Amino acid sequence: MPEQLVFTRILNHAFSAPADAVLRALHVNIADPAAPMSNAFAMELLVTVVLLVYFVVVRISLSVEKPNAVQHTAEYVHEFVSEQGESIIGHGFERFTGYLSVLVLFILVMNLIGLVPGLESPTSNVVVPLGLALVTFFYYHYEGIRSNGAGYIKQFLGPVWWLSPLLFVIEVISHCARVLSLTVRLYANMFAGDLVTLAFFSLIPIGVPLVFLGLHLVVSLVQAYVFMLLATIYLSLAVSHEH
Amino acid sequence: MKMMKYIFMTLAVLLIATPAFAQEAANASAKGMLYIGAGIGMALAAGLCGLAQGKATASAAEALARNPGARPGIFTFLILGLAFIESLALFTFVIIFIKLA
Repeated sequence: MPEQLVFTRILNHAFSAPADAVLRALHVNIADPAAPMSNAFAMELLVTVVLLVYFVVVRISLSVEKPNAVQHTAEYVHEFVSEQGESIIGHGFERFTGYLSVLVLFILVMNLIGLVPGLESPTSNVVVPLGLALVTFFYYHYEGIRSNGAGYIKQFLGPVWWLSPLLFVIEVISHCARVLSLTVRLYANMFAGDLVTLAFFSLIPIGVPLVFLGLHLVVSLVQAYVFMLLATIYLSLAVSHEH
Repeated sequence: MKMMKYIFMTLAVLLIATPAFAQEAANASAKGMLYIGAGIGMALAAGLCGLAQGKATASAAEALARNPGARPGIFTFLILGLAFIESLALFTFVIIFIKLA
């Protein structure tokens, strides 16, 4: 059994019975009924709770005359995402700001939570980035179909009709490769960051690993930004009207 | 010079071919070859990734020096390009990790 974090242990102690029941109802094979929740799941839950509390606090303390620090942060995030959306998607980007803001905040907090001792990044487990990538995949296809209707299929067929059987296959593969590359980029970056810090910690336990922790911090920020940027680009490609 | 090139090429081919011979050798030796291969693979990936990222960053810096007004657009494309280049090295890393684990 893999080592459990304190938070995971508390969750498993309190909620193992209902979680087991849910998993059994879904016909999922449980490896260990006493500990159905993994570290990644527990951490994700923690991040979700943190973000929910943050959003609720922002909503309650909303004020036009005296905006406080929390509101400033929220406004900054919204402005940042809107700016990106406007420069990439252009007209009609407002519909996607919600999803993109939540995506960037969720990934950012998940990446950064690994820097707190006693907690670990859920994104360094391959399942979590895969879930995010799949959600993004279905979301941009949904938006593409919604804005282009049945004409969305034209994006897969290329410019000339006699090449379309070949291009359709290539496009489908490239869309699946998007999921793969989104997943592996986020997962490998976070995983490698942790690993490098650990490796240098085992070589020189004082001072030097701090440099790599700093690097990891920068990588966390950049990867959250890149994931959001790519989601924006995929959305802009899906909703664009070519014909 | 040409001679050296051939020697290195032969060495490289031999290096790839040795795991095939190591099959019948002891299991520990095969594991050792795996480590060597992983090291060489990661070194190649990291080195070429560094080369490519350096090229991309140099071009971005040049473009910024010529036209500082275009900062936001260049920045977005720089980050995007770096992420794509880096992901190739990370694919190598993941494959190596899967193979070694």
